[in-house]
Amino acid sequence: MSGDHIHAEPTNFFRKHVFSVDHKVIAKQFLWFGLVWLGIGGIMAMLIRWQLANPGDPVPVIGSFLFPRTGGVIDPATYNTLFTMHGTIMIFLGLTPLIIGCVGNWAIPLMIGARDMIFPLLNCLSFWTVFAGGCVGFYSLFVPLGATEAGWTGYPTLSTTVNGLGSGETLWAIAVFLIGASSIMGGINYMTTVIRLRAPGMTWGRLPLTVWGLFLTSALNVLFIPVIGSAMLLLIMDRVFGTTFFVPASIMQGGGGGDPILYQHLFWIFGHPEVYILILPAWGIIGDLLSFFARKPAFGYRAQVGAMTAVTVLSAVVYGHHMFTTGLSAMLGESFMLLTMIISVPAEILFFSWLHTIWRGNIRFTVPMLWSVGVIFVFGLGGLTGIYCATIGTDIFLHDTYFIVGHFHLTMAASALFAAFGAIVFFFPKMFGRMMSPLLGKLHFWLTIIPLVSVFCMMFVMGYAGMPRRYYDHTSMEFLASLQHMNKAATHMAFLLGSAQLIFVFNFIKSRWFGKPASTNPWEVGTLDWQTETPLPHYNFKDIPTVVTGPHEFSHPALPEGRDWISMTEELPSA
Amino acid sequence: MKLHTKMMQRLTSLWTSGITRASLGLAILCGMAPEALAGGKRWGPVPFASDFGYRFEDLFWLITWLCVGSFSIVVIMILIPSVRDRYKPGRKAHFDHGASLKDKRLATVISAATFLVLDAWVLVIAMTDLREAWWNIPESEEAGVYEVEVLAQQWAWNFRHKGADGKFGTADDILQMNELTVPNGRSVSFQGTSKDVIHSLFIPAMRFKKDFNPGDINSVWFKPITAGNYTILCAELCGYAHYQMFGELHVLESDTFDNWAADASELGVAAYDSEDTEARWAWDWKE
Amino acid sequence: MTSAAISLPKEGIKSRVNTTLGMVFFIGSWSMSFGTLFLAFAVLRQRSGVWPPVGIALPSLPMATLATAVLIASSVAFHRALQGIDAKDSNAVRADGLGLPWIIGLVTGVAFALLQGWLWMDLMAAGRNPSSGLYESLFYGLTWVHALHVGIGLLSLLWATIGLAAGRYGSHRFSTINNIVIFWHFVDVVWIVLYLAFFIF
Ligand SMILES: [Cu+2]
Ligand SMILES: [Cu+2]
Repeated sequence: MSGDHIHAEPTNFFRKHVFSVDHKVIAKQFLWFGLVWLGIGGIMAMLIRWQLANPGDPVPVIGSFLFPRTGGVIDPATYNTLFTMHGTIMIFLGLTPLIIGCVGNWAIPLMIGARDMIFPLLNCLSFWTVFAGGCVGFYSLFVPLGATEAGWTGYPTLSTTVNGLGSGETLWAIAVFLIGASSIMGGINYMTTVIRLRAPGMTWGRLPLTVWGLFLTSALNVLFIPVIGSAMLLLIMDRVFGTTFFVPASIMQGGGGGDPILYQHLFWIFGHPEVYILILPAWGIIGDLLSFFARKPAFGYRAQVGAMTAVTVLSAVVYGHHMFTTGLSAMLGESFMLLTMIISVPAEILFFSWLHTIWRGNIRFTVPMLWSVGVIFVFGLGGLTGIYCATIGTDIFLHDTYFIVGHFHLTMAASALFAAFGAIVFFFPKMFGRMMSPLLGKLHFWLTIIPLVSVFCMMFVMGYAGMPRRYYDHTSMEFLASLQHMNKAATHMAFLLGSAQLIFVFNFIKSRWFGKPASTNPWEVGTLDWQTETPLPHYNFKDIPTVVTGPHEFSHPALPEGRDWISMTEELPSA
Repeated sequence: MKLHTKMMQRLTSLWTSGITRASLGLAILCGMAPEALAGGKRWGPVPFASDFGYRFEDLFWLITWLCVGSFSIVVIMILIPSVRDRYKPGRKAHFDHGASLKDKRLATVISAATFLVLDAWVLVIAMTDLREAWWNIPESEEAGVYEVEVLAQQWAWNFRHKGADGKFGTADDILQMNELTVPNGRSVSFQGTSKDVIHSLFIPAMRFKKDFNPGDINSVWFKPITAGNYTILCAELCGYAHYQMFGELHVLESDTFDNWAADASELGVAAYDSEDTEARWAWDWKE
Repeated sequence: MTSAAISLPKEGIKSRVNTTLGMVFFIGSWSMSFGTLFLAFAVLRQRSGVWPPVGIALPSLPMATLATAVLIASSVAFHRALQGIDAKDSNAVRADGLGLPWIIGLVTGVAFALLQGWLWMDLMAAGRNPSSGLYESLFYGLTWVHALHVGIGLLSLLWATIGLAAGRYGSHRFSTINNIVIFWHFVDVVWIVLYLAFFIF
């Protein structure tokens, strides 16, 4: 047994389904976990939209159950809690578990030809740590002196005892810390696995782009999550032990003491890379999926890898663009503006590669393909509107307005969400042995992308019109009341978007147990994960495969008539 | 069973027809129509009333047209293959790794062009704007500069004018809450801080905002060019009543303003209470 | 069992490299974490005019120096203890590992923890607690986080000692003990930076 890395197949229920160390089970745990939190965060978004369109009206149907104290009305404190937790949940408990936890755990070992992650126990610990973080976060909603109200960014001094003594904020910080710890464990595991467990012949130049994206994300996780971890520790100490890291003495009493802006630096040193933590796997996934379904090699594979690596490096030095209005010195401001603009170069290379990947292909518009093209669309919108935010001359007006809300939802949230949906539908047949309904999938796609783009493009207009974000009620002053019609329209679209997700829930549940049985390689692609049996045996690969061909050799001229793909384990016929 | 399959097939083919999808999209967009078509609504910002306001508008629309241009290219590059290169059994896709020297050159040229057109152009204008306008905070000695100290708190704006003696922190200072009166055509220079949490002074009509942080003093300025009343907002989340932390800016023509200031300063002396330490906040103007 | 039928994976052979690589990433991550704390220290120190504050009781320099010496000694001792081991079989590891250097390392490690406790008590006795001011915030805050790692390190070392005594470490599990000692060195390095930051510069 000594050198045998593969753990034996568990026999009891707990070892098999609860505290499992098998990457396939952990991937499914992350999947369910992420979907449940996505649902909770989504309901919160709907409540936020309800309040914005109908300020002060009781929430219909579920209102009296959720907010019995106010008879179903969302009060300002609850509203602040809602958008704070919506952000925290969607980023840390919804998208991260789905696109990194689930896709990473599923795709990495299978795509590189390994039998499991390199540290299976650490993997199990990673899931249960994020689970604990989720529980703490959820519990924080119900503590007596009030839940968190300081926004997902948790800026002091609003997040310190200056604003309130509620333990909700402290619990929120603990939750973020735990979730961060989980991400670090995952990141270390992913990186070491990719470095050490690639099957023979699986060179760095043959690694599927999904794995590249996840690998780079892991590096960012390992390097930058500790920064927010420490910031959270300092915040907790300020709240619990009365230290003054972020609490300054008043100017009128001579100043001195802590510095609230220090927190903003620490938060965004992490926060900007966090954007790429979510977007890099998305880029990797669509880099692969576009090639798989256009039946063409990924255009400029090396260029894509290079661009993703460049973004990973650049992400560490641009964070100041979140702080242009805080009183950052002119020199720092200009440097951050310039550095941020440079990111558009690798981004441009990625767009160039994706668009050329589908150009002159033989495109199968399956559901994963639709989501991938959707990512190009929403990321294009989000990325381009980033120019307004990176340019100080426009950001000075647009900062902290709905323009920013529209921008980051399209860039980070929608892109990562679309890629996650694409990946779920794509990996579903291997995961559960059944196909998801393409009809419902397409309906879900169109009913998601159309309202989603409408909502967030509407927010660009609202922001340009000067509507600040995080306002409980825009009707209490004339200046904003004249913009209320846009709030109403956005809310209608948001409700449509929200209800469309029920199609996905139905499709997911129905297909999980009653879907059409899937063949071993329904998408006809060559990566190692699809060269296995369905259902997957406990050890994934009976013999570790030897890789001889790249992952994207679709429509190679040497392939025989009627076949446009080749397995990575097969030698290309010499033309 | 057979009927079921047939119905599904029907549905699928109905769905795949472009007309269905287009009309569905249209129907969804029509959901927004009632709000969109009703009159008397605002669809953009109020006209700018500060001398650097045009710089924001110009830059905003320059970026907008650049973005519309680039995004159109992306959409066209998605639409053409989506229609032309749909799957046909038996057809083989164009085999191309995009790794040839020609492709590399093309990618380099395009990304360089993007950087020069999209970024460098915007960057140069933005730098000029910043240095000539937003960051060009007028010095105290400059003629005609009007200075105001701001103390933000949960949830109100406190403004302090020098009053008749030209010094901050004296009995004749003019104190205003949630209201600010300034002379038209003169540079108004602010220094501000906060009593409790971070707030952000946002005057949309003047096209600027600045955070006021506890423990530190930040400076910001603008020069009104049109007399009138404008909204002051708080743009940084500051707690329970963040959304109600608004005030009004009155820009008065200079003679009206001088009368107002003289009266207000006298009222300030009358209302001055040396016991009230809370109301005595002020600091020496920071150069 | 199914695993009998499958071929031995290549990854098993190099497991020592694997865990060490994982440990290196862990240390990198932890360094970023402590780096953040030191960044906060540098920024806040820069902001306050007089440093260290005058006219109030400060942590004892001689005791802190002694603690530093003790912790360095502990690190050196563990390094020596590992050097003496030829990780061929578990019996040899037990015999070579559980020697005098290992015991010295363990004792000095515990001594450091006690000295750290003394430093806190001393400062508390002088009426300086975490909420007294910025200096105290930084001193208590940073040493708390460090002490947490000292605690984890000591527990792991204790666990390793028990394992050594039971002859649990042979060639393939040697990396566990190696990694624990790497972690201990890391804790040592962080303390040296802390010491330099608070007492020397
Ligand atoms: Cu950013
Ligand atoms: Cu506010």
